[in-house]
Amino acid sequence: MKEQLYKKELRNTVLFVVLLLPLGHFAQFFKLFPSLQGGSLWGFPVHYIVPILVGWFGLLILAIIMAVVLNKFDDEMDEYTSSLEDKNSGDTV
Amino acid sequence: MEATEFVLPSMWMGIAVVVILFAIFYYVGWWAAKKTTSEEDLYAAGFSIGPVANGLAMGATWASLATFMGVIALIYKLQAPFVYLWIQWALSIPLLTLLYGTCLRRMKAFTPASFIKVRYGNEAAIVIIIWMCLSMVMYALGQMIGLGMAFEVLFGLPYKYALVIVGIATIGFITMGGMYGASYNAAFQMVVMIIAMVVPMSAIMKAMGSSGWWFPPLAYGDMVPGMLKQIPEFFDMKYDYRWYFALIPAFTMGPIALPHLAMRVFTSSSIKSARWSVVWFILFLGLLFSGAYTAGFAGNYFTAITGHEIAKPDQTILILNVFYNPAIVAAFVVGGAVAAGMSTINGNLMAIAGLIGGDLLGILAPKMPGSKKMRWGYLALGIAGIITILLAFSPPPFLVTSILWAFGLLATAVSPSILLGVWWKQANKIAMIVSSVICGITYIIISPHVLSNIVVGKGLVAALGMSGAMVTVPLSFASFIILSFLFNKMQMAAPSLEDKKMIDRIHGWGIDYEEARYNGVAMPVVLVILSAIVFYWGIQPW
Repeated sequence: MKEQLYKKELRNTVLFVVLLLPLGHFAQFFKLFPSLQGGSLWGFPVHYIVPILVGWFGLLILAIIMAVVLNKFDDEMDEYTSSLEDKNSGDTV
Repeated sequence: MEATEFVLPSMWMGIAVVVILFAIFYYVGWWAAKKTTSEEDLYAAGFSIGPVANGLAMGATWASLATFMGVIALIYKLQAPFVYLWIQWALSIPLLTLLYGTCLRRMKAFTPASFIKVRYGNEAAIVIIIWMCLSMVMYALGQMIGLGMAFEVLFGLPYKYALVIVGIATIGFITMGGMYGASYNAAFQMVVMIIAMVVPMSAIMKAMGSSGWWFPPLAYGDMVPGMLKQIPEFFDMKYDYRWYFALIPAFTMGPIALPHLAMRVFTSSSIKSARWSVVWFILFLGLLFSGAYTAGFAGNYFTAITGHEIAKPDQTILILNVFYNPAIVAAFVVGGAVAAGMSTINGNLMAIAGLIGGDLLGILAPKMPGSKKMRWGYLALGIAGIITILLAFSPPPFLVTSILWAFGLLATAVSPSILLGVWWKQANKIAMIVSSVICGITYIIISPHVLSNIVVGKGLVAALGMSGAMVTVPLSFASFIILSFLFNKMQMAAPSLEDKKMIDRIHGWGIDYEEARYNGVAMPVVLVILSAIVFYWGIQPW
């Protein structure tokens, strides 16, 4: 179980870093792919408003997912460490 | 075209708003002083702040006086790319929390330097404390000068008198309330800032005939033609792709190591609460920042429809309020700008106090009783504030103009120490000190601020530290990793079993220790390869 928990921790961390960075730097995609710059949304050029929306609401949604997933992971970790402590205290008795 | 400058219609109304705000700050400080009975209370608000209050306080600590004044001027100067630069600040606290905030909250650290001391030892902690204090003084100094100038303009006082009045008044309530006061005051200040930014802007947009008055932060699309009339190239994605990438090493990696932001995560009532604080932080900060972008557009729209030119762009939001809103609203917006400056100074001074009074004193006098340490902490807080006021009398130009540049310094000299210390057991103490000092000094040397004939990059990218950080941040990561391998092989200050156990503990493993955990070779090797690529890209001509 502890091996799975360790892998899960690393996977979660790498995954969320990889998702966070592009959400905060979304304008880079419009620079990398200039053909995306054509349209407009709510009166703004898309390459202006989309990075603002993604850097606000995209990040907000990801932060909610992070809170739920990582808090659940903490519960699993707590469950594992308390089972270990119970086992240790059982051994000493 | 007629040039317009900001003049508050009634000085007494401005004074009344500022006095009321200060009365609230002092009341919160006095209430907080009664709750402060230990070092945990003084530096971490007893690890007790709930998610909404902490999310607001995170936003207030991050958003400085610049959000109300400087940002709008910079939007005109750098145009859309500056908005892109500003958007990514929201990554700071989510990344910090994910990568090390919750780990350090688990060990109940007061500042990131508390972790460095336990992980690498006293000498390494002193190096990090020096870097962090330097950046915090630069930061606080910029805010203090801004507040002094705001009071000078508002009340017609000479700058030095304005500075002393606002400086002493600010330091008073911060020193009185410690981190409890700083947290709840910052939460209140963020509410004031959001209301002052967004609500009056709605009335301004309605008066100007904009259909987006119902939600100023995002519904200002009909002002786009006004912006294009003033600045036809506003939306151009100028600069090459490297400019956009360079935002990551300088401005995303740097704020991760800002101690006053990390301390907001540490004050959380629990690790889970810290993660929910991040959600509220993004919501509130997005609202405030988007409001600032709207003000930039509204300023140009104002010029386009009235023919009045705004003489000083950093006064845009104030001028719009004086022109369109009742005097009391304009005075309240001034209060919002003052709150923005104060909330950041709050955080800066608390960080300096934590670093000097908590961490450094813990190294110099480890056996000092807690109550005495707390008194020294208060003293450190007060002295840091007074030094900031004294520096603000005659500020070195380099310090004032280089707050953003300091982020690259932190990204180079501090971020690798924290991140590798938390995630890699082989991170070596001597390697950390050598890479932090050498790469930090290299960053200073290759900037245009010290030796103007040795510079990587040119113009604004060099002045802001973007080109410098693109070279020294990867260099710092790579040298730290390579030297760690080397020194550990030579048995020079190799991490002890206790150091390694600590890493497992802060990740939540409790008593369960596993040597192989956080001890791989793949992650550091990949980092070295990525660092080499970025370094090579960074040293190409800009």
